[in-house]
Amino acid sequence: MLTAIEMKDIVQKRSHFELGPVNLVIPKGYVTAIIGPNGSGKSSLFRCILDLAKPDQGTVEVLGEKVGAHDNWQLKRRIGYVPEVTSTINDHLKAEQQAAFTRKWYPEWDINRHQELLRRFEIDASLKLRKMSKGMRRKFDLIIAMSHNPELLLLDEPSSGLDPIAWKTMIDVIHRYMDSGERTVLMASHIIDEVRRLADYIVFVVHGRVLGMYEKDTLLESWSVLYTDIGEGNVHWQSMPGYHSAEYTGGSAYKAVTSSAVEAEDWCRSQGVRIVSKQRLELDDILTALIEQERIRIQS
Amino acid sequence: MWIPIQLNEQSAEPMYYQIEVQLRALIVSGQLAEGSLLPSIRELAQTLKCSVITIRRVYQDLENEGLLRTRQGTGTYVAKVGDEMRDVHRRSAVIEALEAAVDAGIRVKCSDQEMLDMLLDVLKRRRERVSSGAEGGE
Repeated sequence: MLTAIEMKDIVQKRSHFELGPVNLVIPKGYVTAIIGPNGSGKSSLFRCILDLAKPDQGTVEVLGEKVGAHDNWQLKRRIGYVPEVTSTINDHLKAEQQAAFTRKWYPEWDINRHQELLRRFEIDASLKLRKMSKGMRRKFDLIIAMSHNPELLLLDEPSSGLDPIAWKTMIDVIHRYMDSGERTVLMASHIIDEVRRLADYIVFVVHGRVLGMYEKDTLLESWSVLYTDIGEGNVHWQSMPGYHSAEYTGGSAYKAVTSSAVEAEDWCRSQGVRIVSKQRLELDDILTALIEQERIRIQS
Repeated sequence: MWIPIQLNEQSAEPMYYQIEVQLRALIVSGQLAEGSLLPSIRELAQTLKCSVITIRRVYQDLENEGLLRTRQGTGTYVAKVGDEMRDVHRRSAVIEALEAAVDAGIRVKCSDQEMLDMLLDVLKRRRERVSSGAEGGE
């Protein structure tokens, strides 16, 4: 598998926050989603990738080039970035003026592509940026980030403020952008449905640390809640494969959560535990479970 | 192109397996004709809300079985399925289901004759339902 981004031992110490050490490899040709609670360091990772902030330690390599050694201006032409918070510095400009300005820095700017995106997102380019609604501005940011057909697209909570129709358009535009198989998206998102629809890989980030990177379908298939009936006797739940928790729910019933569904079901059968029903966990529940495990790990 | 594949999210069977079984059935039954262009990996992943890794695995498996072929740069097509292979695939799903039925019979100690009678009985009922459904609808 080819690599789009490689972070090695990244540490960033700030008075109120510590990031790292982060080791992360983002594969080329896939959509990778970073999910984590507010303030977990997602945006800091983006800033390190773009050399907008310097890590105290470690190295970042993007599209085969080391970041931060020189000014990487050629590298940045190959990247599109939608920051979490839009800059207001050019708010007095019309959208078309902002586009004309940005275009100067990107020789690969594709005017037809730009027009097509304006049409798809229904943006009036003669409008001043200041006059745009939050959602409209978000759509325009995305258009600006994609008009030079970048090899790597970095999206920091791209859909915040989008209405459901614009949201669907965004999902579709990103899917089409990825269709060639050569391009890479790294996105941070809180929207579970967005991650489910777009991501191939999922990275969990909590308290400035990476808790793991998973292939999305495998992850969703492996976390399950089992509603069980243990009948007579006792069950040592901690020995269940992928044990996360087991909760007594009355009578002889237990609700058990596992991160290895298939093995756990086999184990239940071998223990004489009847599985009454089961349910897959949603991504946010998996995140919550991982945060709990991390807390227990830190405490012990 | 829309492909009628339905995923059961609560099923114990992994997603790639569910997709593979259904896609294979569509090809072997001829519902997807030889030479049909399949959606790109990203497109099918979008439709089924799964990752491209899962779809790539399915396409790879079916290509290895000779049911699909990929032409560099143009896409993935349904390959020519020989009659012999079609027959093997056509029968294998049925045989698998029958094996499961026989296992169920053995568990409750059915005799061979009992099971054969049941099979004939089920067949008769189903055939009647199909023909009455075809004439007037239910």
